[in-house]
Amino acid sequence: MARATFPDPKPPFYRDTRTIAVLVQLVFLGGVLLTGWFLYNNMTTRLAAANTTTGGALSWNFLSQTAGFGISEGPAFQPEESYGRAYWVGVVNTLRVGLTGVLLATVVGLLAGIARVSNNWLLRQLAGVYVDLFRSTPLLVQLLFWYVGVIAALPNIQDAAELGNLGYLTNRGMYLSWPQLTETGLNWNGWLLGGGIAAVAVAWLQRRRMRRSGRLGSGLLAGIVAGGIVAGAGYVVVAANATLPATTTYELRRGDRGTLFEDRNGNGTLEPAIDRTLAHVPITLYGAQDEVVAQGATEQDGTFRFTDLPAEAVRLTWSTPPPLVLSEPQRQGFNFRGGVSLTPEFVALLLALFVYTGAFIAEIVRAGISAVGKGQWEASRALGLSTGTTLQMIVLPQALRVIIPPLTSQYLNLVKNSSLAIAVGYPDLFNVSRTIVNQTGAEVQGIVLVMATYLTFSLVTSLFMNWYNQRVALVER
Amino acid sequence: MATGIPPTHWVNPNPPAPAQKPPATTVGWIGWLRAHLFSTPANSVLTLATLWVLYWIGGGLARWLAGAFWEPIWANRKLFATGIYPSEQLWQPAVVLLLVCALFGLSAGRWGSIMRTVGIGLAALLLLLALIPLGGMAQAVMAVGLVLLLAGYWLGARGGVASRWLVAGWILSGPLTFVLLGGIDLPLLGASPAVDSNLWGGLMLTMLLAVVGIALSFPVGVLLALGRRSKLPVIRYFSIGYIELIRGVPLITLLFMGMTMLPLFLPSGWGNPSQLVRAMTAITFFSAAYLAENVRGGLQAIPKGQYEAADALGLSGLDSLRFIILPQALVKVIPAIVGQFIGLFKDTSLVSLVGLLELVAVAKAVIQQPEWLGVAGGVAREVYVFVGLVFFLFSYGMSFASRRLENKLGFGKR
Repeated sequence: MARATFPDPKPPFYRDTRTIAVLVQLVFLGGVLLTGWFLYNNMTTRLAAANTTTGGALSWNFLSQTAGFGISEGPAFQPEESYGRAYWVGVVNTLRVGLTGVLLATVVGLLAGIARVSNNWLLRQLAGVYVDLFRSTPLLVQLLFWYVGVIAALPNIQDAAELGNLGYLTNRGMYLSWPQLTETGLNWNGWLLGGGIAAVAVAWLQRRRMRRSGRLGSGLLAGIVAGGIVAGAGYVVVAANATLPATTTYELRRGDRGTLFEDRNGNGTLEPAIDRTLAHVPITLYGAQDEVVAQGATEQDGTFRFTDLPAEAVRLTWSTPPPLVLSEPQRQGFNFRGGVSLTPEFVALLLALFVYTGAFIAEIVRAGISAVGKGQWEASRALGLSTGTTLQMIVLPQALRVIIPPLTSQYLNLVKNSSLAIAVGYPDLFNVSRTIVNQTGAEVQGIVLVMATYLTFSLVTSLFMNWYNQRVALVER
Repeated sequence: MATGIPPTHWVNPNPPAPAQKPPATTVGWIGWLRAHLFSTPANSVLTLATLWVLYWIGGGLARWLAGAFWEPIWANRKLFATGIYPSEQLWQPAVVLLLVCALFGLSAGRWGSIMRTVGIGLAALLLLLALIPLGGMAQAVMAVGLVLLLAGYWLGARGGVASRWLVAGWILSGPLTFVLLGGIDLPLLGASPAVDSNLWGGLMLTMLLAVVGIALSFPVGVLLALGRRSKLPVIRYFSIGYIELIRGVPLITLLFMGMTMLPLFLPSGWGNPSQLVRAMTAITFFSAAYLAENVRGGLQAIPKGQYEAADALGLSGLDSLRFIILPQALVKVIPAIVGQFIGLFKDTSLVSLVGLLELVAVAKAVIQQPEWLGVAGGVAREVYVFVGLVFFLFSYGMSFASRRLENKLGFGKR
């Protein structure tokens, strides 16, 4: 009896999609690995031929070697320190300009974005011109324009442009008045910390109470008030208890420079054996007849200097400063002392970054607000909610959902774009890494280090913004 | 009538008043001002504040413009256009320009849509450049380009050229551009000396880098986008890794990497690629990651039913991609790709930091020229404003065209 021949119900293994999938992946992986090995092999061959100062092809020893170059700004850095620390200074500088830039770009972008949807025709047009103009030109051109065209054209230090009490604008940078903790203010730090804790605790409690009674709001105001009370009380206590070491007589000559500090026995001294420097302490100099010759204050590091003493002073006294002073920049010779000084490179980079990114954020904010339908406003009005409540409870929560993802990528762009610092010579991490690479020849390691750092920034920002985004995301059934 | 009710003549005891003109304060320009600028006290304050800001900016701008010194730009117009390309061989870039004009004309006529908008912009630019006395030759070239553009449009609109030939022309124009710019050896006309790619520069190089970057990254980007949506984990994770790695680092690190590390990756015998090739490689790798994300957006916008329908028709995976999925996905992402092209066009300015003589590098060189040392305040502002304007003109023009396209395709409407 002839048996009916049916095709084998199981296809041969080479036509099984599961097998094919595994095979394709294996071939792909093999190809990637082979290409990688080929490139790596070429690289090591060429590096061995190039004979760089780092010795072996991919050694990381250079990080502990002496840098031998200085870094003009950021955390203090001496040429004797290591390459690794130089790179760290670069990272801090990137964060310094990046975080300030993110803050300013958000403010500018928010204002311009709201102006873009304003009822006011003139304001709307002005914001539109700002957005179009700065979005459509390269950041590098803007940066060079600010640096070479604007900041370099500011007056020099002698005829510095004054910004009221806020500070001075010069072609050597910006000098700003800045509140600074004085010697006695150091005791205030603990109170400030306590105030912060109190603010968070009270805000949380208040929020919980409001939720329980079915009211809306965040308890933010109560928290701020509580924190302010603690900090204010601390200020009063600290100011009342402020004491400084006893004044000693000191012979001072014209142009003398000294450091005011407190030694182990609690005596105020001016000798250079420093135990603890005294910052922002008002100093008065008296002449032989007990007349006031000059007045001034010590700097952050305790140093003081009187350049134009009319006569030799014989006695020096200091008085107890308030915990917090507004340190204003004072012109001294060819420079300013006191306050906060920002280099032209920093100012140009910051300006370029926040003006450029602000234009992009403005578009994002505009799109977010427009994305909330008109019906939402109308429905909220029909429920009898006020404009403020509508904005707070109805419109903004919905707009934020649209705004946050693109906003995150703009923040990341700003930090990545800060690598343009190399065009103006601001020592950010990329610029410092190029100096290191040029000196050591550690080309590959330098690139790997820089990329790893930027990827870390990206990752941390993404994680944070994802967390925040989840908080404001739509809760679906 | 029998009912006895007398016919009444109804008169409205309160006749409506004759229609009056609206008060002068709600119509005309006064009404417009009231409605748009002074509707509420707060709005009025805002208007006055804006006016003050405008006065402040406008005053400064006017003062600067009155004293601006544009001579360096005029004197270096050749440098801005083509960099230090040899003057006697400028006909080679001119031929490339004419070729592009003809192709744009034909495409605008044949395909319309964004090509037409871009073509109109290009025509306006050519007309402007033909009218400005740049020098006889340059004006002649621009005029011929304009004529080619219009002739191409006429021919294309009449269906004188098949779409596939046009596509072939565009694809061929790439290598042809490099051959023409690099110097050619024609059997009849004789050889023109080779032009090293380090001599290419100015706006020409900026354009070249952006176009090459987007064109070369296109296939890579599409593959990466497909890879990211693949069911095979190895391919998916490779694509994700590549895309996120590239998107996580600034372009400038990739450019420096291309400049210094690309030669290291090649076998010792191959020598070192030119700086232009290194920059183009870096830009392509960079652009591919962003393009992949744009294309992925398009792929995600295709409803699942399309895949299922393709499967039901018995199409293989490749065929369903070729005929069903990609054509729909790519049309959807045209505006995004135009946006990316604009971004890339602006980003090419970074190659000035690695030693290529594009527009910004030319600007830096012009500022340093000894002729302008005596100018009070320097010429940096004028030069950078000019370069910024050039970038603005192209970027804004393209985004304008793209916006028109979006409206036409009906994006963003519900």
